[in-house]
Amino acid sequence: MAGSLTFALRRLLLAVPVLLGVVFIVMLTLELVPGDAVAMMLGEHATKEAVDRLREHLGLDKPLLVRYAQYVGQLARGDLGRSIIQNRPVVDELADTWPATLELTVAALLIAALVGVPAGVVSAVRPNSSFDALARLGSLFGLSMPVFWTGLVLIVLFSLWLPWLPVGGRGSLAHLVLPAVALALPSIAMLARLTRSSVLEVLHEDYVRTARAKGLQELAVVVKHGLRNALLPIVTLVGIQAGQLMGGAVLTETVFAWPGLGRLMVKAIFARDYVLLQGAVLVFALAFVLVNLLVDLSYGLLDPRISRQG
Amino acid sequence: MKRGGTRLATPLALLAAALALGALATPAAAQKRGGTLTIVRPTDPVSLDPHYETTAPGAWVYSNILESLIAIDEKLALHPKLATSWDVISPTRVRFKLRPGVRFHDGTPFDAAAVKFTLDRALKGTPPGRWASLAGPLAGAEVVDDLTVDVVTSEPFGPILRSLALVYAGIVSPTAVVKAGPDFSRAPVGTGPFKFVEWKTNTHVILERFADYWGDKAPLDRVVFRVLPEEGARMIALQTGDADMVLFPSPIQLAALRRDPKFAVHEATGLRVVFVGMHAKQPPLDDVRVRSALLHAVDLKAILANILEGAALPARGVLAPGVFGFKDMRLDQLYPFDRGRAKALLAQAGWNPGPDGVMQKGGQRLTLTWLAARGRYPKDGEITEAVQAMLRDVGVEAKVEWREWASAFTQFRGDPLSFHLFTLGWVTSSTDADSSLYPLFHSRQLPPGGRNTSRYANARVDTLVEQARRSLNQGERERLYGEAQDLLAKEMVWIPIYNTMEIVATRASVKGFGVHPVEYFLPLGKVWLDR
Repeated sequence: MAGSLTFALRRLLLAVPVLLGVVFIVMLTLELVPGDAVAMMLGEHATKEAVDRLREHLGLDKPLLVRYAQYVGQLARGDLGRSIIQNRPVVDELADTWPATLELTVAALLIAALVGVPAGVVSAVRPNSSFDALARLGSLFGLSMPVFWTGLVLIVLFSLWLPWLPVGGRGSLAHLVLPAVALALPSIAMLARLTRSSVLEVLHEDYVRTARAKGLQELAVVVKHGLRNALLPIVTLVGIQAGQLMGGAVLTETVFAWPGLGRLMVKAIFARDYVLLQGAVLVFALAFVLVNLLVDLSYGLLDPRISRQG
Repeated sequence: MKRGGTRLATPLALLAAALALGALATPAAAQKRGGTLTIVRPTDPVSLDPHYETTAPGAWVYSNILESLIAIDEKLALHPKLATSWDVISPTRVRFKLRPGVRFHDGTPFDAAAVKFTLDRALKGTPPGRWASLAGPLAGAEVVDDLTVDVVTSEPFGPILRSLALVYAGIVSPTAVVKAGPDFSRAPVGTGPFKFVEWKTNTHVILERFADYWGDKAPLDRVVFRVLPEEGARMIALQTGDADMVLFPSPIQLAALRRDPKFAVHEATGLRVVFVGMHAKQPPLDDVRVRSALLHAVDLKAILANILEGAALPARGVLAPGVFGFKDMRLDQLYPFDRGRAKALLAQAGWNPGPDGVMQKGGQRLTLTWLAARGRYPKDGEITEAVQAMLRDVGVEAKVEWREWASAFTQFRGDPLSFHLFTLGWVTSSTDADSSLYPLFHSRQLPPGGRNTSRYANARVDTLVEQARRSLNQGERERLYGEAQDLLAKEMVWIPIYNTMEIVATRASVKGFGVHPVEYFLPLGKVWLDR
């Protein structure tokens, strides 16, 4: 356990240069992309003097490296700065949006795991059955349909025709259902497919035959010996999905008017508001680092052969 | 003509009777109080303080919270609001008498000091407000007494009254601004019919009726502005009753909504003209015959009918009808769609068809470069493609370079501009011709300092728009702008395509609502719910 702790601490320390690099890349990208935050903000009727004066006031006329150093200095003091367009502390913006993103991601991951993994196991136990065929078809559907389409179909079905759920927004559990399901669909499909092949592979191993031979019930064989040993790639995929769901939820957030980080980032990019964008990207990067760490730590728990020494 | 008293008496009596009947039958009699109006629109505000937000998503909300000295109505006429009267006392000074007994939402009184505070904050702040440079040479305000204030400009400025009627020029409560600091941006305090309650980012903004409003109190208890970015979702919200009002309704569904008695479609002629600009200093577009040929080559009727599907009006010039100083350029008569005339004009300019149908002159092909963005204005991308095809039909090859809006915007405002053509829109949001004709067509207003993207230069037009800008005689100004537009029409540097329409869809139960031609206003003070 102590080994795990030092491992975790080391990984977190290593995250610092990663985050600094991320900050630099974001800044550099926005610098290279044409477009000017202040001109966009003041609009087409503003005079050049007004644009220049505000740019100077905001310090945006300084060279990239100077701004980077200033930003990192601010960051070291725990200050994420103020959004350029809104003149509002970035921390407040993140505090408004981050919980919504977390809520949606966790809900979608739960749905994906609770539906995808059992579906994959059943498909593996009964390969080429009608359930397997149905699951395969469903997976194909879930993977190929874009969320802006499935999302609208869900709204038409469950808000317009069957007036059970609200059209969009965040608040109650009812608001969460449709976006979480829409976001989870591709993940369900991927998890189901991966679980199926992974479990199928394990079920042909010698130790499974041994387990069956010693008279264990089929359910115990599949779950204890099959699924447990097939879990490593599945957990890895769940980790990757967690990252993707957080970052890839922009479309879902748009269709369902979910006030999350994805839309915040899109807004920041279109407005060329690098301070706001940095804040959002940092949160994502940090979340990625943490999820990866959790996944790596879980390997040790799932498979005692993987040690955390060295 | 002899005015016979008796002959007039009957019509007058009839008129009086009609007025009396009308008064009985006005909506006021049937008007119901109370209820919550839910509005869905695609984006959240940047800020609720004009100091930080000059775009519509913020203005729709704060135009119901803050009021200006002068109001501009749906017909774009000026009316007293927080000022009851005004006098031009010198070419650079207008004296306003203020409305007595008005209170801000925080209970503090509205007075001359508040007007001075608002203007000083916007014009002299560090940095100045984001709307400061849109208001022309406004210099500030001087308190004469509690209820009298002088607004001064640094030079004579004809559109001053319209500048003060801008949505941004809403008077803020000095006490609240000082108390809230930067947070005022998320909790504005004004004198309007609604006061601010709550803003949850990307979710909703809530307003409620201001019970101590100086004028007719708003019938609605509350207004909720919700964000629904997806057009389809907005339309469904209207159908399910989750929303009472949709801003930016889906154009394709408007016909169905108009037929359905459960809904109402409200519209007004907007103030934005979307056009294909021509770079008048870039050969061969420096030849007015070539420019005219391009205008003749474009079938506006087809674009309006097939691409805009009735959600816009054909452009009638470089200004929108309704703007002060607008003169109908009669483009349909000056430049009717006529490929024969287009080709003849090109031939006059020395361009003749080459082997592949593209015009040539001395071995050089008539190829034009074009800078365009997609999605900034309704159907801008489709229009660019359609005009490109129409130009090809008269032997003009146009090569379009597509850019994302922010990057295209930087290029439009840059110098030099290495494109022949560009798809752009321009809104006369001040409702005065000055804020279009001066920055767009004055020869000294070249980018990057000015907005004369077409590099148009005509000394007479310069004189006319300068005179009109400095004159405070509105009749004279109108005449000067008329002459300037006549000159522009002869040497067009734009292919004007369409004039926006401001369209709002509501449920039929929403009464007393009228769309404002200025896209930043969303007047809700008279709206009531019939349910």
